[in-house]
Amino acid sequence: MSSNLQYRSPYTVVDALPPGYSRRPAGEPERATITFTIDGQEIQAPEGIMVVDAAKYGGVEIPVFCYEPKLGAPVGACRMCLVEIEGIPKLQTACSTPVRDGMVVVTKSERVVEAQNGVVEFILLNHPLDCPVCDKGGECPLQDISYGWGGGESRMVEPKRHFEKPVALSDAIAIDRERCILCYRCVRFSQEVSEDYQLVLLDRGAGAHVGTFDGTQYIAPFSGNIVELCPVGALTSRAYRFRARPWDVEQGGSVCTLCPAQCNVSYTVRDEQVMRTLSRENAGVDDGWLCDKGRFAYEAWESDARITTPLVRQGDKLMPARWEVALTAAANILKKSGPRTAALAGGATTNEEGWLLRRLMLDGLGSPHFDSRRGGEFDFDVARTLANPALAATMPDVEWADALLVLDCEPVDDMPVLDLRIRKGVRRNGVKLAIASARPSSLDAGATRVARIAPGGAEAFTQALLAALGDGGDVETLCENAGADAAEVRAIADLLAGAKRPVIVWSERLAVTGRGAAPLRAICNLADRLGIAAKDGAGLLEVPLSANARGLREIGLLPTAAPGLMHCDNPGLDATGIAAACGEEISALVLMNTDPLSDYDDPTAWSAALAKAGAVISFSTWMDAATARHADVVFPAEVGPEKDGTVTHPDGRIQRLRQTVERAGEVNAGWWVLNELGRRVGVDLGVKVANQATAQIANHVGIYAGVTTAELGGDGVRWQERDAAANLPRPARTTFDLTPPPAAPSSDGYLRLGVFRSLWSGGEVVNAATLATLAAAPRRVELSPVDGERLGLTSGDAVTVKTGDGEMSAVVALRDAVPAGFAFVSADLRLDEGDEAAVATLGRALASTEERSAEVTK
Amino acid sequence: MSAAPQNELRHEDSVPQLADVSVPAELKAWIEERMAMYPEPKSATIPCLMHAQKLHGWLSPDAVRQVAAVMRVTPAYLVSVASFYDMFELKPRGRHTIYMCTNISCMLRGADAVMAELEAQVGVDNGGTSDDGIYLRNFECLGACDIAPMASVDGTYIGPLTVADAKALVEDLRAERDVLPEKHLTRRPAAATYWAAGKRIEQGGER
Amino acid sequence: MDDLLFHDIDEPGLNTIEVYERRGGYETLKKALRELDGDRVLAELQASGVRGRGGAGFAMGTKAGFLPKGTMDKYLCCNADESEPGTFKDRELMQKNPHQLIEGIVLASFAAGINKAFIYIRGEYDAQASILEAAVREAYEHGHLGENIHGSSFGVSLVVHRGAGAYICGEETALLDSLEGKRGNPRLKPPFPANAGLFQGPTLINNVETLSNVSHIIKHGGEWYARIGTEKSTGTKLVSVSGCVQRPGNYEIELGVPAREIIFGLAGGPLPGREIKAWFPGGSSSPVLTPAELDLAYDFDTIAGAGSMLGSGAIIVIDDSVSIVDVCLRTAMFYKHESCGKCTPCREGTNWTTKMLQRVSDGLATPMDLDIIASVQKQIMGNCLCVLGDAMAMPVSSMVNKFRGEFEAHIEQARAKHTPLSEAVRAPLDLTKQGAIA
Repeated sequence: MSSNLQYRSPYTVVDALPPGYSRRPAGEPERATITFTIDGQEIQAPEGIMVVDAAKYGGVEIPVFCYEPKLGAPVGACRMCLVEIEGIPKLQTACSTPVRDGMVVVTKSERVVEAQNGVVEFILLNHPLDCPVCDKGGECPLQDISYGWGGGESRMVEPKRHFEKPVALSDAIAIDRERCILCYRCVRFSQEVSEDYQLVLLDRGAGAHVGTFDGTQYIAPFSGNIVELCPVGALTSRAYRFRARPWDVEQGGSVCTLCPAQCNVSYTVRDEQVMRTLSRENAGVDDGWLCDKGRFAYEAWESDARITTPLVRQGDKLMPARWEVALTAAANILKKSGPRTAALAGGATTNEEGWLLRRLMLDGLGSPHFDSRRGGEFDFDVARTLANPALAATMPDVEWADALLVLDCEPVDDMPVLDLRIRKGVRRNGVKLAIASARPSSLDAGATRVARIAPGGAEAFTQALLAALGDGGDVETLCENAGADAAEVRAIADLLAGAKRPVIVWSERLAVTGRGAAPLRAICNLADRLGIAAKDGAGLLEVPLSANARGLREIGLLPTAAPGLMHCDNPGLDATGIAAACGEEISALVLMNTDPLSDYDDPTAWSAALAKAGAVISFSTWMDAATARHADVVFPAEVGPEKDGTVTHPDGRIQRLRQTVERAGEVNAGWWVLNELGRRVGVDLGVKVANQATAQIANHVGIYAGVTTAELGGDGVRWQERDAAANLPRPARTTFDLTPPPAAPSSDGYLRLGVFRSLWSGGEVVNAATLATLAAAPRRVELSPVDGERLGLTSGDAVTVKTGDGEMSAVVALRDAVPAGFAFVSADLRLDEGDEAAVATLGRALASTEERSAEVTK
Repeated sequence: MSAAPQNELRHEDSVPQLADVSVPAELKAWIEERMAMYPEPKSATIPCLMHAQKLHGWLSPDAVRQVAAVMRVTPAYLVSVASFYDMFELKPRGRHTIYMCTNISCMLRGADAVMAELEAQVGVDNGGTSDDGIYLRNFECLGACDIAPMASVDGTYIGPLTVADAKALVEDLRAERDVLPEKHLTRRPAAATYWAAGKRIEQGGER
Repeated sequence: MDDLLFHDIDEPGLNTIEVYERRGGYETLKKALRELDGDRVLAELQASGVRGRGGAGFAMGTKAGFLPKGTMDKYLCCNADESEPGTFKDRELMQKNPHQLIEGIVLASFAAGINKAFIYIRGEYDAQASILEAAVREAYEHGHLGENIHGSSFGVSLVVHRGAGAYICGEETALLDSLEGKRGNPRLKPPFPANAGLFQGPTLINNVETLSNVSHIIKHGGEWYARIGTEKSTGTKLVSVSGCVQRPGNYEIELGVPAREIIFGLAGGPLPGREIKAWFPGGSSSPVLTPAELDLAYDFDTIAGAGSMLGSGAIIVIDDSVSIVDVCLRTAMFYKHESCGKCTPCREGTNWTTKMLQRVSDGLATPMDLDIIASVQKQIMGNCLCVLGDAMAMPVSSMVNKFRGEFEAHIEQARAKHTPLSEAVRAPLDLTKQGAIA
């Protein structure tokens, strides 16, 4: 095949890797350096990159509209980049012509200039030239290129093309079809990047325009990216329209902490307010994409729902209080409770906050009871094995793997941008994808192999895979336990065994199944069996259940491990233990960015625990259920753009959050609050500016030793690639004896219940105007058509789902791909009145391997 | 600003489910059989849309959803394809279709006058459908300039047409009978034979 | 010489396998499978010098030789999307002698090691597609298609695929996209279809007439075929003659005969009392020629030498009763309608040119507009993704340049009927549609 098809994203600097690449992914071919001539100067560039990119090495800019390497192979549609290439009679598009040694390129000849002027004239023929009222004005490639490469006049006197405008493409996006220059970027994104195939080109020729089917909204998890891709003002963010001009605003780079994807973002700030969120491309993290949740969350942060003052409980009510009052009240709770205090931290917590919370607990209160995990056994050897740099897959490894297993994980919901990376790998690099999931995955369509497993069957599936790989055990029995088809499991085993660069993406859900560390031991064995440590580009990637789970674990916010996964002499209670001990061994609870009633499994237990806890101090952005019902003191938590600190990406990249706006209302920094609490309980945490906490981590967390914010820079650094990685303690063993997984449960004629969590949940979704309708979608129960027919149900029917724990209301969605006998319920937990039984059921079903059966009735 | 309908609010639902869309059994079987004829099932898109159009008279949103559900693609993908091609109708049209060629060769032989007469006879402008279900539109070169000016009536090529033929054509259609049978292209021998008898075209028609 | 492709074309039942076989059909295929290998068949095709009959005129044997060797799936697409205005020869071939085409497809597939073949036929050719489908069924039943054809190790499948009305699908890469179930947008080249075509596999794309020649070439040998026609334009050619002639239709000629012989000798010349004003030698995409050029030899290179092209072999004759402005406008409108919209110069250029020519036609233009029209054609030519933009720019340029006087006279006459230009040009905008976002 020609290099056109094998197109790779080109890099802008010859001797350095693109931003975020600390090493070239093993699967990505290297490029030789060649010499070519452009406008008379001899330039060196990597062989085979497109002339338009190669030109940049000589400081030559060639204008483009349709060319965007992030979208895949060039299409050569806009014709803006026509150049002369010696030896070829016709002008060529620089965006689609790979550079070769000895090539001679001319970009400024009369012929080229004439063609460029001509294309600009053509493009502007039907463009309204309404720059003064266009949102894109001032940051518009069409403006820039018209000025730089246009002839400066139009000879057309006929009327321009007209469309109804602007039209709502969705709640998020408005489309002005008159401004559209038909560069194809947005529809290519929809079809070739997010693969939702909802935004398309309609009609043809001069009448071609961008649209959807029958006027339906463009609802897709990544839809907002098309606004950034649009090189003109045709696609605009409805939330941002008319709110600022480029010269009114500044950009501030940071990292989104709404999910483990930790996409790099750039906040557009005006008058200390975030006006919009843009992607900040980091090939090692996000490839320059954002999900809509991350993109529009800023609207929620401005909403009235956000907590912006300290609150102290007076009787039944939480009342606003001055900081001094709230800090004193909290300090009194902590002093009184002392070593009987416990703390839980959620995913938005930075490494620094986690570190200071840990110190407050240990040094200030003498309590070892703090956890950042959701519970489950913590096995040092397993944790250290899984942290082994040789077993770590990077995000680019996912894209360059030759075989990729996605295990019990739905990336689009669990770590959205990972979904795009996997699609990219499959589409462009021929990654052979295998899916093992209970609920049909949105990645199924591109998968080479799909194994449906029973909910909770992931451990048995992993063991079945091991057995199929010759690691002992009976494949058939294990497959039966996993609810999986043995032939499919064998095929996946073959796929992985035959791969040079197998990568396994697995969900932290496996760690909280009620089976302790057993499922993780199976993962360790699988890594060993596949020889991943010795294979360059192979690896494991854990998709954590919360945004900074990896960082909090590694800085030591664990009851049973010291910082850097070191041994701990004086273990405390883990999350499950804390819940059980509330009211007895535990008399006060600190909740940092977490609501155990919706984040943790077994909300019933947590509801009781919180009631008995004695006192609760909550750091929170939203008035979540735990905070509203149980908190005695509430500290308003910072949100993304207000924060300083670091977080750790699931692949080990330590990334820096930088404050870009003033904190809202009376919000104070998390580190400041913890430092103040420390002072009040008699310990000096020693933090007067944010990066002093980072320095403490650098001094005390072996694997993060010496890390500084300067070193992290804008792109972050993977700790595995620093010398300090040698400080990771070696596990005593890296393979384990496996206990047999539970036998296949019988459903006794009921439907087997599976639970899934949608991306569209959380305060940031509910309170962002753009996303609100998504969050408001009713709970749904997905059934197979067979069961639908048997039960007399059709999509849209309101039903009651009864389980052993109780019942809940839901709306039926019949799905062709759901296997008969299963019911999948969305667990977008909203603790409304009367919803507790549902939450309890779903919470437990989410994580447990125990059989849950359900009855669905009208 | 006109708001789009608030349907399909979940991204998971972008491909219609067979469980939700009632697809005529014959159409479903036809599509499945057609998809199996290609290395990539998507190749069947155009034939399947055409089959659905025949069944429904036009590519109604329902028709599109039916094809989408069987082919497991989004309706948006299908309308994107359909709207590219001239023979797909994304708006309701009549049960009879007249494509009148108005391209160069037919124009040179008086197609514009025939088209004007057809508009008058059918009682609609170009692109319109009459109350009794005759859909008339001009069309680009249909590949039968030997019988110019010509029209494709419900897929049958007919010509050469005179202005007077336009009336007879519409009358035949309205009477649901074979349209201008003596002017069907398929009944015409090759030029060398056809003209061998010394026939030729003069002003105002063949002699 | 005798007709080759049109030999006994009106023989009753020739479209059935019974008659075709009775007349010796498929014998060449059987013989080739029995006695020759694929390379030898390919060599005969190369020796014949047969050039593509679809428009580009590229040597078929050379093209087939570009396909890589190997056991991967390889594809043949028979381009039956005959849509070039004035062209209707493939229609008659498919309708009257479908098996001649099928035999050619199987032989060409054998030559290039192809195992999957498709006939992409324009959707409007409903009757012809049905005839082809029936013929393909018959060919399968008689073992001319499928696995192990006539006991050989060679097999090829054949599917008749109907398009749905888009001229651009005659462009080979657009045809591939369309056959893959997409919008018929042309692709960037490279990669060329021979390397990465249908489903990204090696693909040979040939016109109906080209493939219909194949069985004759293999039957009689490439050298025999090469003796027909001229040195560089071998063989016979079906010419579709239409427009202002007395006997329009398809005529099979030996390449290299004078155009006058076709237009006057076969097609009877202009109607009594009329003079030829201009003629398209190869479909509406070819620059028009004048009566002074009627004595040119009708072959690929001579017509190209006169600044036009043989194209699909469709001659459209324009007589002196017709306004060249009308022809020019109709030509531009066609390409505007058929532009896929993918690349800027074609999408905007065809649209703008049509608007300008409409003004010229309506008498709302000045001679300066003719300069702009000519300049816009230059801005299009050579700068588009595929040849459709050029396919308008070339004939429009030729008409505006060669008939400048007639255009100016038309403007002068038509303008007299109108009130000031500025008023008419500015069509009122419909502001009721301009909704505003809250």
